[in-house]
Amino acid sequence: MDALVARSLSKTYRSARGTVQALDAVDMSIAKGRLFAFLGRNGAGKTTFIKIASGLLLPTAGTVQLFGVDVVEHAREVREQIAIVPQEGKPFYHLTPREHIVEYLRVRGATGESAKNRTQEVLEGMGLLPYQDVPAMVLSGGLQQRTLVAMVLATEAPFLFLDEPTLGMDPFARRQVWEVIRRAARKGSTVLLTTHYLDEAEQLSEELAVIEGGHVLYQGGAEALKSKVRREIRLQFEGGFTAQELASYGEVFTERGRITLLTTRNRVEELTRLALARKSAINVGPVTLEEAFLTLVGRAIEDEDAEAAA
Amino acid sequence: MTWKTQINAIWRICYFYGFLALTRTPVMFLAMFLTPLTFLFFLYVVAPHSLLPFAVIGGILFSALYTGNGMMNDCAYLRLERQLQQVFVTSPLRPMAWVFGMAFSELAWTLPALGLFIIVLSLVVHLTVLSILALLGVILLTWLLATSLGFLISTFFRQLREIWPIGTVVFTSLSVLPPMFYPISAIPAGFRWAAFVSPSTFASQLADQVIGLSVPTISVVPALSSVPVEVAGMVALTLLFMLMAMRLARWREP
Repeated sequence: MDALVARSLSKTYRSARGTVQALDAVDMSIAKGRLFAFLGRNGAGKTTFIKIASGLLLPTAGTVQLFGVDVVEHAREVREQIAIVPQEGKPFYHLTPREHIVEYLRVRGATGESAKNRTQEVLEGMGLLPYQDVPAMVLSGGLQQRTLVAMVLATEAPFLFLDEPTLGMDPFARRQVWEVIRRAARKGSTVLLTTHYLDEAEQLSEELAVIEGGHVLYQGGAEALKSKVRREIRLQFEGGFTAQELASYGEVFTERGRITLLTTRNRVEELTRLALARKSAINVGPVTLEEAFLTLVGRAIEDEDAEAAA
Repeated sequence: MTWKTQINAIWRICYFYGFLALTRTPVMFLAMFLTPLTFLFFLYVVAPHSLLPFAVIGGILFSALYTGNGMMNDCAYLRLERQLQQVFVTSPLRPMAWVFGMAFSELAWTLPALGLFIIVLSLVVHLTVLSILALLGVILLTWLLATSLGFLISTFFRQLREIWPIGTVVFTSLSVLPPMFYPISAIPAGFRWAAFVSPSTFASQLADQVIGLSVPTISVVPALSSVPVEVAGMVALTLLFMLMAMRLARWREP
């Protein structure tokens, strides 16, 4: 059974400065209990999708159903099933992490005892025990974000929306949060998360979707995305080549003087020989999710530019 | 969630956002006292002492009315800056329970100021149990009206910068301009009815009358000086503002 189904979902923002098509006829479904990552550039439409699916924003057209219930028509029923970490949310300045979790659970209807027990469990899981009684106003940005995420994950709601949940966290904290998210999914929650950390998406998600300009470009597994871009090997060159020379072999990215080429297996031998002849340092490895994402979105942008030029 | 759990949620919000914030940021006590107390002091110095009871009533109603300003600020801040309103509204908690929780928090912050002004009032006029109860009724209606209005306005802000000018315009016109700190007789007789454009005039006239202060007949619309009409007007306005908050507030962005 699908936990979330979006059909022809569109959103147009209108203002005095003009209109912006944030979502354009998006069709998407997420299976129940799935850990799903939603990837895209800034402004691609991820947060708009989450806001509509969680009932915070009205769509211009189309529908979203959560567990078979329309989120616009039956908002109250849907709210019983969800919890959300908003993008760039911040906790109450005067409450401690413990108070945040206990009070949020109690507001959602938990009894004092169960809220207390669940809070202890989540504080432990999220590495917040040393800070449990420190007011949020004196916590670092990363700890404040962890508090907000802890508050929401503690609910074990059937559907969790996490909009960039690990923003500003250190690598250790991120891994702790990942574990708590995985635990929530193991217990049956469906999780929809957005992130700009592609390693996070690869580590956490069982399925992902890539959105660009309000269109879903891809939905499926991370490995399948790599296959979709038809590039299996990543070659990194230091010196000896120009980006233009390598463009005919595949997708080329230049970063701090290092050229990255994503290409097919059968071109590796030829390129390695060339690199040796030109005394270029070369690094070979499999294509990462980030590179597959860049390729997919990069192609979509090029297509859009070409369409606009035509 | 049942009604019982919704009521419990209102209490929890009031507890953690009202009482806990107040005990951890004591300057809030002072902030709630300072403006009405300053007006009172100013009037005590410059106006005849016979007008003092009007000024004390003004302080009481100002405190009740300014819960609306607090509500507007806090709801906009929690929605735009902290994004916490979204966290609470996307939960089994009913949106109205969130609003009431916030409104009670605002009331909690104002209680010490209200208490002080009622004590001062008891020193300048003779209060009976009945007049205190009637005054509490006026305070309650003013608080409901003001917080409904404050919440409604807060949902239309798109950025924090808008709060300050709009809050100043709305709540200053409701609290300082109408006859709250001064008797309505200070307004030329032919124009007194116009003061009833502001809901706070109903509150102040009612409060003045229930504690036995003399209120002149309002020419043009004499019914406005009768207590039943003022009660009906105050209740109707409060219900109207509450209804508007429920119906027009932007829970979901369009």
